[in-house]
Amino acid sequence: MTKPRLRSLFDDPRILGLLLVVPAMLAILGVVLFPMFNSLWLSLQQHDLSRPQENAFIWFRNYIDLLQDPRYLNSLQATFKFSLFSVLIELTLGVAIAITLNQNFRGRGFVRGLMILPWAMPSIVNAAMWKWIYNADYGALNALLSQLHIISNYRIWLAEPVTAMTLIILANVWKETPFTVILALAALQTIPDDLYEASRVDGATEWQTFLRITLPLIMPVLMIAGLLQFIWGFQTFELIFIVTGGGPFSSTEMTNLRVYATTFRSLRFGYGAAMAYLTSLIIFIPAVVYIRTAYRKVVEA
Amino acid sequence: MPRLLKRFFLYLAVTGIIVWTIAPYIWLIISSFSVKIDLLTVPLRWIPSRLTLENYYSLFFMRGSESVNARLFIHSLGNSAFISMTTMFICLVLGVLAAYAIARLRFKGSNLMVFVMMATQLVPPIVLVVPMYVIMRQFDLLDKRAGLIIVDISIVLPLVIWLMRGYFASIPSELEDAARIDGCTHLGALVRVILPLSGPGLVSVMIFAFIAAWNEYLYAFIFTNVDAKTLPVLIGEFSTKLGLEYLRIAAAGVLASLPPVILALVFQRFIIRGLTAGAIK
Amino acid sequence: MKSSPLYLFFSMLLALSFMLASCGAPTAAPAPVATQALATEAPQAAAEAETITVIFPKHEADLSGAFEASIREFEKQSGIKVELIQSDWDSVANRILPEISTGGSAYDVVEFDNGWVAEWCGAGWATPLNDFMSAGYTEGMIPGLVDLFSCPDGKLYGIVWNNDTRFFYFNAEKLAAAGFNEPPKTWDEFKQMSLAAKEKGAVPYGMAPFWNQEWSLGNEFHFWTYAFGGQIVDDKGCFLFNKDPNTLAALQYMMDSLKDGVSNPAGMTYNQAASQDAFLKGDSLFMPQGIAGLMAYAKDPSVSKVDGQIKVGLVPGVKAGMSAALTLPEAYAIPSKSEHKEAAWKFIEFMTSKETNKVLAQEIGVLPIWVDLYADPDLTAKYPFWADFQAQLQTARGLSKLTWYGDFVDISTAEVHKALAGEQTAQQALDNMATGLSQFECKP
Repeated sequence: MTKPRLRSLFDDPRILGLLLVVPAMLAILGVVLFPMFNSLWLSLQQHDLSRPQENAFIWFRNYIDLLQDPRYLNSLQATFKFSLFSVLIELTLGVAIAITLNQNFRGRGFVRGLMILPWAMPSIVNAAMWKWIYNADYGALNALLSQLHIISNYRIWLAEPVTAMTLIILANVWKETPFTVILALAALQTIPDDLYEASRVDGATEWQTFLRITLPLIMPVLMIAGLLQFIWGFQTFELIFIVTGGGPFSSTEMTNLRVYATTFRSLRFGYGAAMAYLTSLIIFIPAVVYIRTAYRKVVEA
Repeated sequence: MPRLLKRFFLYLAVTGIIVWTIAPYIWLIISSFSVKIDLLTVPLRWIPSRLTLENYYSLFFMRGSESVNARLFIHSLGNSAFISMTTMFICLVLGVLAAYAIARLRFKGSNLMVFVMMATQLVPPIVLVVPMYVIMRQFDLLDKRAGLIIVDISIVLPLVIWLMRGYFASIPSELEDAARIDGCTHLGALVRVILPLSGPGLVSVMIFAFIAAWNEYLYAFIFTNVDAKTLPVLIGEFSTKLGLEYLRIAAAGVLASLPPVILALVFQRFIIRGLTAGAIK
Repeated sequence: MKSSPLYLFFSMLLALSFMLASCGAPTAAPAPVATQALATEAPQAAAEAETITVIFPKHEADLSGAFEASIREFEKQSGIKVELIQSDWDSVANRILPEISTGGSAYDVVEFDNGWVAEWCGAGWATPLNDFMSAGYTEGMIPGLVDLFSCPDGKLYGIVWNNDTRFFYFNAEKLAAAGFNEPPKTWDEFKQMSLAAKEKGAVPYGMAPFWNQEWSLGNEFHFWTYAFGGQIVDDKGCFLFNKDPNTLAALQYMMDSLKDGVSNPAGMTYNQAASQDAFLKGDSLFMPQGIAGLMAYAKDPSVSKVDGQIKVGLVPGVKAGMSAALTLPEAYAIPSKSEHKEAAWKFIEFMTSKETNKVLAQEIGVLPIWVDLYADPDLTAKYPFWADFQAQLQTARGLSKLTWYGDFVDISTAEVHKALAGEQTAQQALDNMATGLSQFECKP
């Protein structure tokens, strides 16, 4: 008698749901919860390690100072620019590549496997490689462009704000696009052939088929990929640190770099923690809006 | 458009994709077999006049006395492999279950949990490492592979949950309902219907989870020292007071990128169609 | 069913991971074969052997493990086991910080860079060595180096192991091709010679400086300021950089060198390694801040085309006869929470002794910290150019000792880089630095 009752107990969505999610939540929160509260607490204090005599609880002074800190604000806009452009290009390029790789051609499997290569490279190697490619006097980019007669003189790409930003976005896109490609490719597999058949019978062009059939069906995955890559854009560190160091004159300085410099170099842990949380808050708000509106509509539809 | 022309553009596009993906990596490989002074020549010669194994050699042998380096490199490689696989496996199990629950089972608090998970991903890890360091030290998990696995799970698991949730959500619920009518429990439906249908997604998430753990740098750096050091951390140490040792990093990078790529090549066949083509029928 | 291959692969992966796990089973810190042999033959005393953990970066010239060999020698002589952690400078710095700032006792001897001294003094992270040193221990060491590692309380907290003084190198051959037989004595001559050499086609630029917006730009700012007789802060930490006309002149000279074609504009994106690469290729005439071991690099055909062409000179000054150089020494320190301080001191004493210093100098060209060694016949025979170093060492100055040194570098690199790019004037840069650092201005 108890067996069926136990079974139906486990089958209750509310109980089963909790049961399945709790281990995962524990695994994540168990690791980050205390550090998050600890550093949140720290963000409300003046805590410069080299001047411990000045430690004090200062409520939200750090946050107020940050909102007036021109260097921090500059890093915010630089990071937004970087993340946004990266994501837009990654999504577009990623979908285009995925659709191409979804066609039938010789060696398709090999190309798909190869596709992961940029994403598989450790970020330090990626950053070092691009720094070398972008080198002003000896780099491969300058060599390539001048040998193809696209430019007549070598240019110091990383010394001009616009080109420096463009080039690190390029490096980031190169590294991150495979993520979108593989996800989109997997999503494309779930679209049944009959839908394409029906569309062809209806006389739709390739482009119309793409817009009406393909795109809506892979949209959920794309939205997730886009959100993730936007958030990862804010976590980018090695690429900027190694390739430009934040230059030229702080035009590519990202918030993550500022947090690192403030905590690990200047040893100002209170201010650094505040910087981190303020940044999280600033991303959290558009992310929540994004999820509430677009994502919810598409996925739950 | 005539079919031949279509094929031509297709192969053109594929070639473009291959070039775009491979070109920097090829340059990395060429650099790794080069001598520094040759890479500084202007105009640059794409195939240098002399090739050398010195950069690879220096990964495994120090000029002079002990061959500590060989053991270090292989040791780190082993650590990376073990940690990545274990993390991937645990995250897949926990993640698939949690993603299913969130995507399919309506229960109180599911949205809250998603928000909380996202919130943890937003905080720059740099600011969390010092308090985490204290905890790890308390539990004697510093410089141990288990310690790194635990923190890596906190990064990889949210990724797995989010992605699998997306894939599960895109599977029509009619299929699951049919299974339940046939007498399956929720979990049974998960195993018998949803998992097979989301095969391609599952495989791609598996690959991502592995690579995310393989390339993870910050936690690996802070929480390991010698015993549990992973490959990216070892590569990050190839620098002097003056700057990065580019050629050595290139050589190590070429080697370090291979296992994930081989993994992808082996598993890409599972990202194929045909699993759902007839499912609706 | 499609799921069965998946499960098969999972089990394969698990098996594979266990296989790999057995290959990569954790061992103790990789130790050379010699020590392992020693461990087995050491008698019961080994069971009681104290172990200390030492962490410091690899010396740039240490390609053969000479430091490690000396450390094993120390182990043999003292019976103290050393767990050695050596990596690059950045990794060491970032490893030490979490441990030391959270009161950990994992390390017994740590790297102590001269840029950290004031910060560590303020935080109380290091142990005063006066309690362990015999009186007069540091007599005979280069005085400028010793003082850099004392705190405001007057006690000594670190002993130098890396005398990283930077020297003025020039390519004598290309200079001669440009018509000059002597290196420049003033910065005006420096400019003239650079432009002349450029015109004659001997080199594309006088120098390729490392002015990328990163930590080392702070070093450059110090160097040029000192070289022009300028000051950054006084000994109370009060700002002088925005008031001293020499400091302004130094920054102005840096900016002008880019405009006039003396400096390679690509230097705005270069780090020290790139700068050195250019010099060793023969693309720059001067290397105002070259490392002590540059000559060894110059002889290596895989990185250099200038073997036999370069020489050491004195850093030019505003007027002939004035010269100043930058030194970036690194020391050994004992963390205040270490639990093996006596043993740690024995380590430091051994590794910084005249004997060990000479061995290391002999083997890999480490620049000595003991004045006598510069007259040592063996060493002068092997490194004749050290005679040129001697004069410079007298005038070497270290980085500013500030508890806010991190902030100083943070702000100065951004402002200086902006000025060098031509986006603001030199005076504006210095004023902005003062504003940005205003919370640290000393109270009168």
